[in-house]
Amino acid sequence: MEQSVPELMARLDSLEASLSMATTINSEVFYWWCTALMLAIHAGFLAYEMGASRAKNALASGMKNLIAFAFLIPAFYYIGWWIYLAFPTGFTISDGSEAGLPWSANMGPNLTDNASGIFYAAFTLFAATTASIMSGSVIERIRISGFTILALFLGSVVWVFGASWGWHPDGWLTTEWGLHDVGAAGAVHTIAGFFTLGVLINLGPRIGRFNADGSVNNIDGHNMPMSLIGLMLIVMGFFGFLGGCIIYTGDTWMTIYNTPATLSAFAFNTLMGVAGGMIGAYLVTRDPFWMMSGALIGVISSAPALDLYYPGLAFLISFGGGCIMPKLNDILVGKFKIDDAVGAVAVHGFGGVWGLIMAGVFASGYQNVAGPEISFVGQLSSAVVFMILGFAPGYVLSLILKVVGLLRVTDKAELAGLDKAEVPVSAYPESTVPAAFTNDPASPTPAE
Amino acid sequence: MNTAPITSWEGAEAYFTFADKPALLVLFTLIGIGVCVWTIASMASHENKAYKDM
Repeated sequence: MEQSVPELMARLDSLEASLSMATTINSEVFYWWCTALMLAIHAGFLAYEMGASRAKNALASGMKNLIAFAFLIPAFYYIGWWIYLAFPTGFTISDGSEAGLPWSANMGPNLTDNASGIFYAAFTLFAATTASIMSGSVIERIRISGFTILALFLGSVVWVFGASWGWHPDGWLTTEWGLHDVGAAGAVHTIAGFFTLGVLINLGPRIGRFNADGSVNNIDGHNMPMSLIGLMLIVMGFFGFLGGCIIYTGDTWMTIYNTPATLSAFAFNTLMGVAGGMIGAYLVTRDPFWMMSGALIGVISSAPALDLYYPGLAFLISFGGGCIMPKLNDILVGKFKIDDAVGAVAVHGFGGVWGLIMAGVFASGYQNVAGPEISFVGQLSSAVVFMILGFAPGYVLSLILKVVGLLRVTDKAELAGLDKAEVPVSAYPESTVPAAFTNDPASPTPAE
Repeated sequence: MNTAPITSWEGAEAYFTFADKPALLVLFTLIGIGVCVWTIASMASHENKAYKDM
């Protein structure tokens, strides 16, 4: 049966419209499930930090994670998404950023905008991840109110500037210096890690962590198996995180810098990175906690160039990260007396720096769509920007909180246990917990 | 209360409640921020009391 040209054209238009809508819906579905998978990161941080706490602090540690998560969702809606859209060029507001204001027509159900909500959601989970990175380091002595203020500032302001500058197609770190950081090692991990370092300096160590002669006491958590499962959940969630770092266009995948990529590339290098980090950390520590932290180090080490690396190279870079970061943590604790309860400064802060620098070494020369090619100097300079952008606000804000008495709990509450002081329920009301780990202040840990 | 900004689904764009009343959206935002700030203040107050009661 012959059809007229107008009829064929109409059918073609209809098919094109259907294809376009299918692409849009596929994109929404993809980021919806990336966001859902990223929730595993927060389930993981919850378990990992509660397990890393002594029994007397288990619920208070978990409360921090829950509160940070709950508060960051509205905070990122109210201000974070707008900051991301507004400041890619530095500190001047970019045109079009008003779409991210909370009263904009794009920031709610809108039949002509299938993107804003789903990207807001994915970025909100990235934001919550930055707060969770800090959360583990400060357990067992930080006030929940002070932590919440710090988490809000980190998650809805500080890291967002870093993302806008360096994890955005028009970010100045890319357009001026050629930064390549597809997996957000710098924008998320380095910034959060160095923000945490600034906080830890003002917060101080837990009672009993260091002796008068400067020697270090180990303060073991009450449930290492729970911590290990938590760390594995974080690794699982990172598949959502990294999936959310690649742009689905319908006919191809692109990095956030608009360079072409494949999800297969991310799959190769994420898995090889996980394995390299685990093996490296095992080699130097024999410690299952560090072995699983090594998985995170591995992901972060390869993250900046997940789209470019030969998988065998990603394995070796992550192996190197897995070997180095536990030793760096030893130096931070032993030499600088930084009581980082879970090693987040080394894992995330320095792990991110390592990843950025390695991309400068091994991925130099690749072209960017906007800006100069990837270079060692560009990667190193960007890493320094991320370090300062994280550290300075973390140090200053925590110092202010310290001055007004909102940063640290009282010694009495710390010795008795934060659960007893602040939480209206008990973690283990009917179980037998070794006396040294109960809420009984008469039976403190040996270090106390 | 009629909160719909649209009278027909034909050609509808932003269709969420009060989408045609930006002043109200700003008000909801400010109230939401206020709720968060108030809750954090309450949190600090709870902690102060808890430490004092120990």
